[in-house]
Amino acid sequence: MSDLHRPTGAAEVNLIITGRAGQGLQVISRTLGRMLVRAGYHVFVSQDVMSRIRGGHNFARVRVSNVPVAADGDKAQVLVALDPALVARHVPDLAEDAVVVAEAAADLPEGLNPILIPLADLAREHGEDPVMANAAAVGATLALVGLDLDGTEEMFESQFASKGKDVVKRNVAAAEAGFRAVAVDQKRCCQHRLPSLGTVPERGLSPERLLISGAEALALGAIAAGVRVVTAYPMSPATPIVEYCFRHAQEAGLIVEQTEDEVSAANLAIGAAFAGARSMVCTAGGGFCLMNEALSLAGMTETPLVLCVGMRPGPATGLATRTEQADLLFSIYAGHGEFPRAVLTPADAGQAFLAAQDAFRIADKYQTPAIILFDQFMADALWTVERNVLKVDNRQEPALSEPRQEERFFDSPGSLRMTDGAASRTGRQERQVPEGLEPYSYRRYEMSESGVSPMLLPGAPQQLVYADSDEHTEEGHITESAAMRLLMVDKRNAKLAGIRQELGAPKVEVEVEVEAKTLVFCFGSSRGVVSEALVRLRARGHSVAMVHLDHVWPFPAGAVAGLVAKDKKVVTVEQNFSGQLAQLLSQECGVRAAGTVRRYDGRQFTVAEVEAGLEELVGAKVG
Amino acid sequence: MAEPLSPKSFESNDPIAWCPGCGNFGIREAVKLALSELGLKPEQTCFVSGIGQAAKAPHYIRCNLFNGLHGRTLPVAAGVKLANPDLVVFAEGGDGDGYAEGGNHFLHALRRNLDMSYLVHDNQIYGLTKGQTSPTSEAGMKTRTTPCGAIEPAFRPLALAVMMDAGFVARGFCGRPRQLADIIKLAVQHRGFSLVEILQNCVSFNHVNTAKWYSHRIYDLAEEKHDPTDRDKAYHKALEWGDRIPFGVIYKSSRKSYDELLGDTIGSRPSDSDRVPAVLDRLLDQFS
Repeated sequence: MSDLHRPTGAAEVNLIITGRAGQGLQVISRTLGRMLVRAGYHVFVSQDVMSRIRGGHNFARVRVSNVPVAADGDKAQVLVALDPALVARHVPDLAEDAVVVAEAAADLPEGLNPILIPLADLAREHGEDPVMANAAAVGATLALVGLDLDGTEEMFESQFASKGKDVVKRNVAAAEAGFRAVAVDQKRCCQHRLPSLGTVPERGLSPERLLISGAEALALGAIAAGVRVVTAYPMSPATPIVEYCFRHAQEAGLIVEQTEDEVSAANLAIGAAFAGARSMVCTAGGGFCLMNEALSLAGMTETPLVLCVGMRPGPATGLATRTEQADLLFSIYAGHGEFPRAVLTPADAGQAFLAAQDAFRIADKYQTPAIILFDQFMADALWTVERNVLKVDNRQEPALSEPRQEERFFDSPGSLRMTDGAASRTGRQERQVPEGLEPYSYRRYEMSESGVSPMLLPGAPQQLVYADSDEHTEEGHITESAAMRLLMVDKRNAKLAGIRQELGAPKVEVEVEVEAKTLVFCFGSSRGVVSEALVRLRARGHSVAMVHLDHVWPFPAGAVAGLVAKDKKVVTVEQNFSGQLAQLLSQECGVRAAGTVRRYDGRQFTVAEVEAGLEELVGAKVG
Repeated sequence: MAEPLSPKSFESNDPIAWCPGCGNFGIREAVKLALSELGLKPEQTCFVSGIGQAAKAPHYIRCNLFNGLHGRTLPVAAGVKLANPDLVVFAEGGDGDGYAEGGNHFLHALRRNLDMSYLVHDNQIYGLTKGQTSPTSEAGMKTRTTPCGAIEPAFRPLALAVMMDAGFVARGFCGRPRQLADIIKLAVQHRGFSLVEILQNCVSFNHVNTAKWYSHRIYDLAEEKHDPTDRDKAYHKALEWGDRIPFGVIYKSSRKSYDELLGDTIGSRPSDSDRVPAVLDRLLDQFS
């Protein structure tokens, strides 16, 4: 995709904002980020957060560029420290001429270029609350990068509207004080002026560009898909999705339930889906373990269920607030018995928004679970997204390969879109009983070539719906018939072919390099990092292209086999110990990866690291 | 209003797989009677069950049915009720399903107080898995997994329910289907979570708590003029076990149901699904 090329004139400034848990770092990075996006820049913010409520060491990286960015930058030119004692830890992350904004000199290491600003005092004086040091830091940073205070008030209003006018006013006052503290020193002001927007075609204010986290995009994608019931037991990194749904439950018409445990969350969502509400359950890898039984239940009872599964480093509790991609194979094989599922692996906020809609479409159409597999990094990062990417998918369902009369009422996934169909208080979709169906003759699991049976909901007039976790007859009653068992297993698993067709081929992100000698495979949140590393490698003459998998199940084996011609070298980049994507490539299409660039310390890959790792692998044979 | 359907019209044609003489037959009679007398149509009801001999019961009734996993009855039933409040929702299962595997869900269903009726067939033994101890087996009871007698005391679900201020708490007996039907009707009419604990004999595995054993001990609370709104008295009745075992309505709470409170706290939900694109636009605006 063209947005991943780095055009000439590309330039950037990188900031690090560091502090303790509870100091409002996320407010700084989001406020600053949104102001920069409004000013016409592309911004990428990642969060490095410890699993604690107060204290510790948290930081955000803010990358500001005049071209699209989807990964952390290299060295930072600006470090804003809400606690000077933390500065020393960031020295290796700083560029040579970096500026450090800090409260006091006492704790600062030698050889830095500090601007000492009494952030807490300013906050106390102008914001009447030392916690507004974060607002003062926003102001100071704006001055450092050469922006003015225009729009600050509007931004704080938009961020803190619910907290009242007074809070907005005091935040603005603190930001102004921080700004002035830097601006008085002409030498220092604008020291790391932002790059010119000259190379950006649509420069200037861009209401059509958003700064949004992966978690928020997932929640909004689900809302776009018409989700009605959202369930969860809180667990990082899925919690922000649920909290977003809770906050907006009323206006978006959602029922959001925090249940007693993950087992209940999944089963409640299944019950709601059986009764006709589009339902989603959100959890992390550990919670997903508890949901395996329910996943299998959704497969057996053919209930549409969307699961948002956030990966963090395991096993067990692992690193609770950090990132990994080690639940790839788990998500594909989870649950006892054999049943079809889709596993989608969106790269960023834009893809997450669309993946949520795909997941609901597939779950509904094929009456089976669809998993959105993401990681902490993707969920917590703030991504700059063109608003026109975030579209409501009004696609009507294409007819299945075997169009049948019953499709009159099971093609309602199409009508489940916001366009037609009466919906009850909970958005329950009324599926029409087809004319000519004898009273009380409905068969929930009627055989069909595609494996998909017409789906009526309990409550349909003069029809009854039986769903069963036991092996069942077409009606839905318990059976132990060997013949029926064979028919039902075949029926359920037949759906995988349809899902495979629907999901299509993986994207080769860099089309012009389709003839590349080395193909670099990755999935999920690695896309931004890998793509940028490949730009650098190509600039040094390597013939490389990326294949990013935005879904991993059903594995697009045919499409991948087609990409991997005989003389091509295949490598993977993945954030796990055992090279799970490489295993999948080998197992599903007999492609042996020549090597794997791995990271599993709970932190996201950097571009430089992937570049170096790949150069070693690529250079070995091709170079 | 149309004539109510006969109890017989609630019989499904699925062949029944219970042992002859099983207490489940009496419970089935009572459920059929109650549905008929409540004037319900089969499609207005949804029965959710888990695993166990009791969990098969909905297959033998004409009703909408979700027969899910062992112990997971109450969460599924909650999902059904939240998604379609118009359905008359029943959860149905045994003592193992509800009190052992589903114990945590039971606790929180009592707390949540969603409008549904939970019918627990309690025979103090595991039937489907052939005779192991249950949470409601009496201390000292010998079973396949307690050959020297159960060590733990029996769980008293009704007392827990009263303690939790559950919406509606009652006990019935499979040997008195007429009275049981009346209790089930009251449970359905109560807006909130209704627990109906049903004493039931197991002809194959429980040779202590037989139908005769129960018959000799039970007495009707209505005849004692028990006031189910008196929580202290209800608690004592809920704990009464041994020579005399009360049946009937033990406790009724004045708590509002979860669905009522949900409406009170966040208001009614939009009913017009066409609104989604507009809502979405508004929500996305907050990220610019």
